[in-house]
Amino acid sequence: MLKIKNLKAGIEEVQILKGINLEVKAGEVHAIMGPNGSGKSTLSAVIAGKEDYEVEDGSVDFLGEDLMDLDPEERAHKGVFLSFQYPVEIPGISVSNFIKTSLAEKRKALGLDPLPAKDLLKMMREKMELLSIKKGYLSRNMNEGFSGGEKKRNEIFQMAMLEPKLSILDETDSGLDIDALRIVANGVNKLRTKDNATIVITHYQRLLEHIVPDFVHVLHEGRIIKSGGKELALELEKRGYDWITKN
Amino acid sequence: MGLIDNLEKYAQHQNLSKDKRVMFDSFIKKGFPTTSDEEWKYTSLKKVVKSDYNLLLEHTEIENSVINKYSLGVEDKIVFVDGNLVYSPEIKGVHISGFSDFDCRNNDVISKLNSALAKSGFTIVVEKNTVVENPIEILFFNLTKNSFSQYRNRITVGENSEIKIIENIQDLSKSSTLVNHFTHVSCNKNTKVEYNKIQNNCKDSTLIDCMNIFQKQDSVCEVNTLIFGGDFTRNNLNFEQNGTNCESNMNGISLLDGNQFADNHTFVDHKTAHCRSNEMYKGIYLGKSKGVFNGKIMVRQDAQKIDAFQSNNNLLLSDNSTIDSKPQLEIYADDVKCSHGCTIGQLDNEALFYMRSRGVGISEAKAVLTYAFASEVIENLSIPELKNLSQRLLAHKLGVDLDFSL
Repeated sequence: MLKIKNLKAGIEEVQILKGINLEVKAGEVHAIMGPNGSGKSTLSAVIAGKEDYEVEDGSVDFLGEDLMDLDPEERAHKGVFLSFQYPVEIPGISVSNFIKTSLAEKRKALGLDPLPAKDLLKMMREKMELLSIKKGYLSRNMNEGFSGGEKKRNEIFQMAMLEPKLSILDETDSGLDIDALRIVANGVNKLRTKDNATIVITHYQRLLEHIVPDFVHVLHEGRIIKSGGKELALELEKRGYDWITKN
Repeated sequence: MGLIDNLEKYAQHQNLSKDKRVMFDSFIKKGFPTTSDEEWKYTSLKKVVKSDYNLLLEHTEIENSVINKYSLGVEDKIVFVDGNLVYSPEIKGVHISGFSDFDCRNNDVISKLNSALAKSGFTIVVEKNTVVENPIEILFFNLTKNSFSQYRNRITVGENSEIKIIENIQDLSKSSTLVNHFTHVSCNKNTKVEYNKIQNNCKDSTLIDCMNIFQKQDSVCEVNTLIFGGDFTRNNLNFEQNGTNCESNMNGISLLDGNQFADNHTFVDHKTAHCRSNEMYKGIYLGKSKGVFNGKIMVRQDAQKIDAFQSNNNLLLSDNSTIDSKPQLEIYADDVKCSHGCTIGQLDNEALFYMRSRGVGISEAKAVLTYAFASEVIENLSIPELKNLSQRLLAHKLGVDLDFSL
């Protein structure tokens, strides 16, 4: 599904990603771990198409197309979704209006009519239930005054509504208490199918107890320096990053 | 020629009363304000004054379908065509008639001109203890080419009564026109008055609007000014509070593009204690458009325990757009709460990326964020048809096909 080859990218002449290689197949969950400043969030931003970053070399192939040629919205239409580490507050737009617009625009790009209001509301209710989201939430302003946990839950709610093929969860666990973490992870697990894939970016093994990865990669100074199975995450938890980064 | 000549020529053939002649002469002596007048510092009438206008309005008929095309679709409509009152509804407890000559203090020379020469407009009297359930829409159509029309309107709302009005001035002549609109509103004790202005006239029209509102004890008055169209718009909105526990609310949206210009001058005169005023004006400027905001709040010495709030937020969506904003607070009482805030900015790039990452294209994302910016004013509109229209006009003007209602 996703093939990243020798990806080099940076911001304002500072190279952050120094040759990333990664392949993600449908149905897989990949975890990307690594110390602060290793380039985890840059990688997710580059895949999603944030314009602040400049891609210097390499390619990101998504379902046979070079993602780097596409605008962020086109990437979303193809099925890329980024759960933001810091979701943006948008006062003045309700959650329901935001999601209605996103979904309608995605459907339009795919040549589909907007969902009838009744079906849309039904879908919203189902997904809200999946994430134990309370009533009244839809009419709140987008992320405004949301707690850290609510914001992250809102990200996964959008993911559930937009049904992406590739989801990148950028530190979705940060700011979540244990209960919220379980709910969010549960939601992510329920949304998993053999046709979609997930990249989980995290500092901690904690989230990976709930969203069990097929592969774990360690990112350090802009390169993936070690890959392994889920047991690698446990080892990192125990031993830290030093034993890998020093070699 | 020019406007002053047009006016003098017109006035010669009018049988003006002595008082009106004096008023007109004093107007001529002073002339239209220029940018050296403090109140017109950022607002130049040069282009308007240089143009020729036709003061003799033709008498034309208008098809119902045209009226319906511009109407919000509410039941009760008052319709003017070229200054003539052609339709008014029957509403229990409400007396609607055409122009009534009334004298009042004039704040400025343009109101003075209106006072001297205006011959058309509406008079609405709401009886005591009358709650008018449905909003009344007032439509002014103009079909005379290059006309200069002056309306002089009066609304008197009796004690314990409520009314909602929507006003729409529409030019159909496809030419440069000028309207000098003056409205006097008396809100008696314990009244609730809501006045909405849709200023969405065609691209060559000029509007100078003055509204003076006088409030008595326990009255609440709200004015929403929604500017989407027109070439040049100047609104003077003046509230005078003459009783305790009054509330004056004024909200506005200016969404301008091209070379459009709009100026909102507001003035709240807090003369009595225990009153409130809330003011929220949002400006969105595209192209080479220009906006002016001047919000004056006066708290007189006896007006203790006043709670006055003013905000003016502006989005400059192009490099060539301009806003001049000036809060002006004069406070002579010592136990009051007065605050004001003014912002000028652009759309947040983080929020834009956030929306785009959700599949919303760049124009649509900008439109959604712009709507979000304006939503406090739009969502506050109590008449659903008006809210809907504002949402549609905003989407249309930003060039997107989006439905903001939900």
